[in-house]
Amino acid sequence: MNLSRIMIILAGLLIPLLLPAQSVVNTVHNLSVSGPGTVKAAGESEICIFCHTPHRSHPQSPLWNRNDPGLNYTLYNSSTTQAAPGQPDGAAILCLSCHDGTIALGEVLSRPSPIPFVNGVTVMPPGNANLSTDLSDDHPVSFHYSATLAAEDGELADPATLTGPVRLENEQLQCTACHDPHRNPFSDFLTVSTLQSELCAYCHQKDYWDNTSHKLSPATWNGAGNDPWFHTPYSTVSDNACENCHRPHSAGGHLRLMNHFPEEDNCLDCHNGNVAAEDIQMQLGKQYTHDVYSRSGVHDPEEPGVVEVRHAECEDCHNPHASRELPAPAPNANGFIEGVRGVNSAGVAVDPIQYQYELCYRCHADSPDKPASPTSRQIEQNNVRLEFDIGNPSYHPIEAAGQNNNVPSLLPPYTEASIIFCSDCHASDGSAAPAGPHGSIYPQILKFQYETADFTVESYQAYRLCYECHDRQTIIFSAGSFGQRVHRQHIVNEDTPCNACHDPHGISSLQGNATNNTHLINFAITIVSPDPASGRLEFEDLGNVRGRCYLTCHGVQHSPEFY
Amino acid sequence: MKHAKFVTFLFSGLLMLNGLLFSQTISGSAHDFSNETWNTTGELCIVCHTPHHADVTVGDAPLWNHDVTAANFTLYNSATLDATVGQPDGSSKLCLSCHDGTVAVDNFGGQTNGTQFVSGGGLIGTDLNDDHPVSFVYDATLAGNDGGLFDPTTTNSGLGGTIDEDMLFNGKLQCASCHDVHNSSGIAKLLIKPNSASALCLTCHSK
Repeated sequence: MNLSRIMIILAGLLIPLLLPAQSVVNTVHNLSVSGPGTVKAAGESEICIFCHTPHRSHPQSPLWNRNDPGLNYTLYNSSTTQAAPGQPDGAAILCLSCHDGTIALGEVLSRPSPIPFVNGVTVMPPGNANLSTDLSDDHPVSFHYSATLAAEDGELADPATLTGPVRLENEQLQCTACHDPHRNPFSDFLTVSTLQSELCAYCHQKDYWDNTSHKLSPATWNGAGNDPWFHTPYSTVSDNACENCHRPHSAGGHLRLMNHFPEEDNCLDCHNGNVAAEDIQMQLGKQYTHDVYSRSGVHDPEEPGVVEVRHAECEDCHNPHASRELPAPAPNANGFIEGVRGVNSAGVAVDPIQYQYELCYRCHADSPDKPASPTSRQIEQNNVRLEFDIGNPSYHPIEAAGQNNNVPSLLPPYTEASIIFCSDCHASDGSAAPAGPHGSIYPQILKFQYETADFTVESYQAYRLCYECHDRQTIIFSAGSFGQRVHRQHIVNEDTPCNACHDPHGISSLQGNATNNTHLINFAITIVSPDPASGRLEFEDLGNVRGRCYLTCHGVQHSPEFY
Repeated sequence: MKHAKFVTFLFSGLLMLNGLLFSQTISGSAHDFSNETWNTTGELCIVCHTPHHADVTVGDAPLWNHDVTAANFTLYNSATLDATVGQPDGSSKLCLSCHDGTVAVDNFGGQTNGTQFVSGGGLIGTDLNDDHPVSFVYDATLAGNDGGLFDPTTTNSGLGGTIDEDMLFNGKLQCASCHDVHNSSGIAKLLIKPNSASALCLTCHSK
């Protein structure tokens, strides 16, 4: 015996105290009696033993001291993951030998019986650390993260760049890419801080992300309603970044690891006036909406460009990785709908859209099971792409300037060369309402009142939708055939709605023609009937604000009437 | 020097206490084969050592008197291993000349037809994939590359000097880095220092 042996014994007692602050010794992974957590051994002093043994380890490196759970786990899957996660292996199965909650924490290979824990704890207690054997709500692990995978996905970093704190294990992504079980400088044993989702960005390089307000906004929560950031310590949108919507473990919405299910809850915790300035939730509570509530689990980012099963979720119209406040002149898509898929004027899927109408065409054009037009007309068409085609005899100028180069009622700044958005007519009602067709008190999610019932008493309010652009004064009071002869006679004197004669979207050239269907004329057959003398229900454009009609309306026969 | 004497004095009481608690000698330890029936010499050291005509085929072998293993070992490997691990050499090869189970314990002094083989907990076997790696260079470069190891040239071993000085052999980690074959400290499993609070592990591992 000598002095050095004595020092050994003293050192054995002192070394834990001398270790740097970020040692496993100071973390809850120190399951020994000296550990700082509440889940720990009753008397065992060895720290490493709960995971490692120098001899007779199993099932694998690094010198593992625990049994393989040997279970079949429910794996993560989604339509947008190109990775093929297998049953957990590598480091992941080692982590799961505690974190699936099936094996007693003290059950190690190097001891004949399990090491007793305080309070009688055996397996991992319920809570965030117990992942269970259902990994479908957890970020996938144990998949080959190859350059090929990154290329297929298109929004993943080249794995060759993962040489820093986030690393792969044998080219596999394992728990250890994000977690270092021996050090806990950021909480949750993370290898990189989650502030502004720095950790996520090592692998996930989402298109558009750098400019979106979901990355950049300094908005805070006003404290009302649900805490939108219930699983993070951060208090602004930009600090939460990915975690505004996503959660890498225990995700409420398993697919794509969303905070919540159903889908809209991820958006509306912020877009209810409590974080974002505009209260979209309120708009969605109105009578006529893009109803995000009625369906759940139908939307799929991989569904065809022309939507086959019509539905509305927030993410059908908005790309949360791209959305931002960036105005655009019609017909271009603005920042709110940047980076979303659509269908172009030829009916071909596009990604991303260039024009706003291409977004609307995903569901309102060639999709099956569209509802019938709200007005029954002599020419029926509920494919709005065909209604707005620039080859049509007439159309509202959604894709390009209209056919009619003489529209005397137009209010500035509108001219015959103007192009407008679908959302100029279809939008939430109310002067302060946020842009976009979220919800309205008016049918068809119209921005303003648009009465379509026969015998509606004319007023500015009744047809305000039209009068916003088409000057009421000019339409019903101007001299000559345009004002008094045609419009005043019908709208004011006969209480006939605009909608009785005009089909506001347009008349497809496949059905109408440049003689009978200019000026959006396509009679509502619930109000206008054929002329009994000729059997015709027809408008004829005679040019230069002249025309004639064959019809019967309000008991008055036009056989024909000229103007 | 003066300081060392003072410390010696200070802990002289503990020294004696330690002597009572631990056997602190090979005599009576698991490596004491002097009373085995197969050791007809009754000698303590002879199973491993001889003063003359020693086997010098293994580098650094201390006057070796035991048959040396010829096994080809399956080595430890892991995705996070930065060390270059070769076939066991130096003193580790000597340890494995009993503990791999291929060479009889009583194959010493030129005898090769022994019948006593290690079994039970002491049997390491030839598959070292489940064992802590040995016979690799552990230097400042390795520590720097790994990030989870202390620099052996500057880190105190707790045994009086640095890890390199007290626990490595020609710069290599060997079985004897953790185990004291002669049981001079009397710690269970012939450890060179107590593993209470994993102190032995955490001498090298910066975790």
